[in-house]
Amino acid sequence: MKVAGEEPVEGDGALDEDGGGRASAVRPFLLTAGRVAGTAGTSKGPPIPIETQVVATSGGLAALDSFASEHREIIAACRRPQSLAELAARLRLHLNVVRVLADDLRAQGRLRVYVPRANAAQDASVLRRVIDGLRTVPDSRGFLREG
Amino acid sequence: MKADPSGTVSPGAAGAAGSPGAADAAVQQPPLPVKMVIAGGFGVGKTTTVASISEIEPLTTEAAITTVAAGVDDLSHTPEKTTTTVAMDFGCITLDPTLKLYLFGTPGQERFGFMWDDVVEGALGGLVIVDARRLDDCYAAVDYFENRDIPFAVALNAFDGKVEYELDEVRWALDVSDHVPVTVFDARERGSVRDTLLVVLELALERVERAQGRA
Repeated sequence: MKVAGEEPVEGDGALDEDGGGRASAVRPFLLTAGRVAGTAGTSKGPPIPIETQVVATSGGLAALDSFASEHREIIAACRRPQSLAELAARLRLHLNVVRVLADDLRAQGRLRVYVPRANAAQDASVLRRVIDGLRTVPDSRGFLREG
Repeated sequence: MKADPSGTVSPGAAGAAGSPGAADAAVQQPPLPVKMVIAGGFGVGKTTTVASISEIEPLTTEAAITTVAAGVDDLSHTPEKTTTTVAMDFGCITLDPTLKLYLFGTPGQERFGFMWDDVVEGALGGLVIVDARRLDDCYAAVDYFENRDIPFAVALNAFDGKVEYELDEVRWALDVSDHVPVTVFDARERGSVRDTLLVVLELALERVERAQGRA
């Protein structure tokens, strides 16, 4: 099995960018026992943001081998902080499945979930930091990719 | 840094990073994640835009979006909502060890009104990429940002370095408010993408500062 998080998954580039769903369909939802984030039956309130950072705890990493594959892959991928979106992409899981699984692992103390502040977009100091940071990005081309 | 026993951590006012985790010193502190949304019709250059500036090759994830059916029941005024799964390309830029900017390319055009709340909630701003030959494709995105009062700019992607339409014509055709910047950029050029994102961010900052001045 490919070790999760080692390298970006080649994002099915052949599919059109606005295309429909195709990732592993059934099993992840079995893992979540049919629960889907952001719908009735799971946690109250809106789903946690897709940029939310998730990090494995040392307890989670120590117990890695005791987990079933998707859980294990999530914990392993979170050795370094990852966003939910990155986790979903790299593990090829639906975002809402990752939301549920990450929340389960958080409840078990295996992951820490850093929900970003809701009002960052209204925070002038955050905006200034982003502007200052972006201004230092050089002119040259970014990641080379055809298409 | 506040950490409740459940493991959910709310980054403090200074952002998530900077202080070592008290509960688990081995846990690497994540940066404060912020995001911007890149919208526009199919094939207009959203993924190219993300790829030009992202430090990683753009990843694809699948997000649920709510589509509002075009045929609205006039009696109940309750549009029929359907949740659809769509592929979404995104990338990121680490601005400093404590701050990471995510760029999400959101799909959506055509005859539906899309509700990208799941993606857009909390975004610093949006960029609507336009192909002047297919202006129709971006109305949904323009409406979305306008209705939600999210700072955004309209950026005409200059395919092959040519822009066949004048910016004023595009502005007129899209009927965007005067305060919405309409600009030309080249999605393949990192500097051009950077400067276009900065237009949006400066607009966002200006707005926040004006709101604070009034408060």
